[in-house]
Amino acid sequence: MIGNFPFVVCMILIALGLWALLFRRNLIKLAIGITLIESGVNLFLVTLGYVRAGVAPIYTYAPPGAKMVLPTPQALTLTSIVIGLATTALMLAFAVVIYRHRGTLDARKIRELKG
Amino acid sequence: MRLVTGQGYWSPLVWLALAAGVALLAWAFWSRGQRTYKAGTEQDLPFLSGERAPEGAHVRAPHLYWGFAQALRPVMDWLKAFHSGFLGDYVTWTVILLAVALLVVVLT
Amino acid sequence: MTIGMHAPILAIAVPLLGAFALPVLAKVHRSLRDLWAIAVGAFTCAMVITVAVQAFTSGIQVYTLGAASPTDTIASGGFPIRIMLVVDGMSAFMGLISALVGLASLIYAFHFLKEEQGKTLAMTLFFLLWAGMLGMEYTGDMFNFFVFLEVTSIAACALVGYRTWESRPAEAAFKTMAMYTVGGLLVLLAIGILYGEHGALNLAYLSSRIAGSQLDKIALGLLLGGLLMKAGAVPAHMWAPDAYGEAPAQAAIVLVANTQASLYGLWRVLFTLFAGALSAPAVGWLVTSLGVLTLLVAVLMAVIQTDLGRLIAYGAVSQIGYMLLGVGVGLTVLSSRPDFGLVAMQGGIFHMMNDAATIGLLFLAAGVVKRAVGTRDLRALGGLGHDLKWTGGFFFLGAMALAGIPPLNGFASKLLIYESSFRLSPILTAIAVLGSILLLAVFARAFQGAFLGPRLREAKPASLSMLIAMGVLAAVILAMGLVPDFFVEHLVTPAAEALWRGRDLYLAAVLGG
Repeated sequence: MIGNFPFVVCMILIALGLWALLFRRNLIKLAIGITLIESGVNLFLVTLGYVRAGVAPIYTYAPPGAKMVLPTPQALTLTSIVIGLATTALMLAFAVVIYRHRGTLDARKIRELKG
Repeated sequence: MRLVTGQGYWSPLVWLALAAGVALLAWAFWSRGQRTYKAGTEQDLPFLSGERAPEGAHVRAPHLYWGFAQALRPVMDWLKAFHSGFLGDYVTWTVILLAVALLVVVLT
Repeated sequence: MTIGMHAPILAIAVPLLGAFALPVLAKVHRSLRDLWAIAVGAFTCAMVITVAVQAFTSGIQVYTLGAASPTDTIASGGFPIRIMLVVDGMSAFMGLISALVGLASLIYAFHFLKEEQGKTLAMTLFFLLWAGMLGMEYTGDMFNFFVFLEVTSIAACALVGYRTWESRPAEAAFKTMAMYTVGGLLVLLAIGILYGEHGALNLAYLSSRIAGSQLDKIALGLLLGGLLMKAGAVPAHMWAPDAYGEAPAQAAIVLVANTQASLYGLWRVLFTLFAGALSAPAVGWLVTSLGVLTLLVAVLMAVIQTDLGRLIAYGAVSQIGYMLLGVGVGLTVLSSRPDFGLVAMQGGIFHMMNDAATIGLLFLAAGVVKRAVGTRDLRALGGLGHDLKWTGGFFFLGAMALAGIPPLNGFASKLLIYESSFRLSPILTAIAVLGSILLLAVFARAFQGAFLGPRLREAKPASLSMLIAMGVLAAVILAMGLVPDFFVEHLVTPAAEALWRGRDLYLAAVLGG
């Protein structure tokens, strides 16, 4: 009954994350923008697996003859969350190192590598 | 020993043989020149563009192709501004590339 | 159950194990770590060569993970559900490139890296990156491709920025990580769309089901955007000079090979996955024009650089343009399959190996310069040829090879690209030749600025392992230059044929004919 609403939410999350990446200068805000895009894509993956009137895909608890939601996207999303954890941790670590050297987190001022 | 392209072939060994012949010719010309220079005169000193340069003078890399870069100054300045070093610009151009790819694929 | 049957998975699993065991062994004793690194490196190269020989002689190798026998591709429902490694001619060729570059980097790193500057860390990350690259090249499953893509992204960015005592590597690593993550997420979104539509992640099964509906096209657009960004096509290439320029020399060459692995992913998507849905030549023209734009913009930027590492990095980006041009010409004429399309693809694919060896040699030589004098700034360098004779010779060889001077290997692959792209449109050839000439100018400037001239300062010569690594790459360059027909006939043509006409064989090998 909610139709395509979850997919719309995913696209809004991705659009918000891209907007943060394009228009914000603080390095932490850029990392948050990337985390938003990741959340949007993860939500998209989980939503893909929904089967109408399906139950959780636990083999031993399901009533006989019941439809289950697809379990594969749930596995894909778990993998993606872990990958997102690693990339966010690495980006924040580098943001800390940049702050230690340059004393600022403004991306417009940290531009030694240009041209 | 021949790499066949669509329109002909390329053979590096034949090229090497011809290049050796040309090198022999060049050596023949060079060996007929004057071998010596007079040490201790002005022939020994470094000169740059007709001006006497200090010892250890070296035409450094930024001086080469300076004229080329100056002649193409508007293009080079635009390219240098294009590579701004700002992450937001990198993502902007990626989004533009994505939009172009989506348009090309979806509309054909 | 010979070891040859398990070679594909061993080529990925052994460097992964090597990466995780290396810090533990380093705590025990340093020479144990060095022995372990040599053993893992040698074994991985042996496995990659075994896989390549098998793929070139006996056809497509399929390895199913978790099945009773490695060739049981179809599960009980008539549907391939397990993750499988599928090695055809193109995958085997890319594996050879990764093995060559990895071997050179490992030998170089023995004397280049210093203990107090994180040698164990760098070697661990290198093995992780190597395992990820081989995984990307051998896999036959889309989500597995994404996982290995992210593994290589993380390892590559860590390698760019692990030298945290300077500020520039950290800045480069932050930007590179952000760009890589965005590209990876675009790829994941596309894989999600394909899964939602067809219910499978296996590359061959998806390829047989994709017919060109609207959702398929959106997925193709997303995959194109993400993979072109990771391959470094203009206008999304700006992370590449930062990343290649700031990474230490032994890591920069593996980063270049990593970019080529992403480019391989693009070819796999375009030629095998979406072959049934790409009827119009529009996508081919997109790839070709991006290639031409890349090679021109990158080489123009390289003319005005003052940092030697960044100059070579822009050269690497422009060579990606040649690969895009060559294979793009083949993609544009795929529907009618004239002969010059295959020649163009041979040129583009041969250029991948040439570029890996040549740019590798140039980056290693730049690393020697940095270690010898302490700086890579061309405004301050000069006269290094007096002390660094071998390094200067290798740099000269690499520069001549990259610019396409006969009789070296760059000329052979560029000739194939010129002659075939001329048949498609003469403008492409004109711009490609212009790019080559400008590249020669760029490297003449770099060579003159760094190596020629009077001796200005004391320079520490390169150590033995660095010279051996450069010698290996130089030997490959000379061999491929003097006998190009051998390499093209036995290595490049199977790879090009696997993309040009080999989709049916690929599907038959996995789905059982």
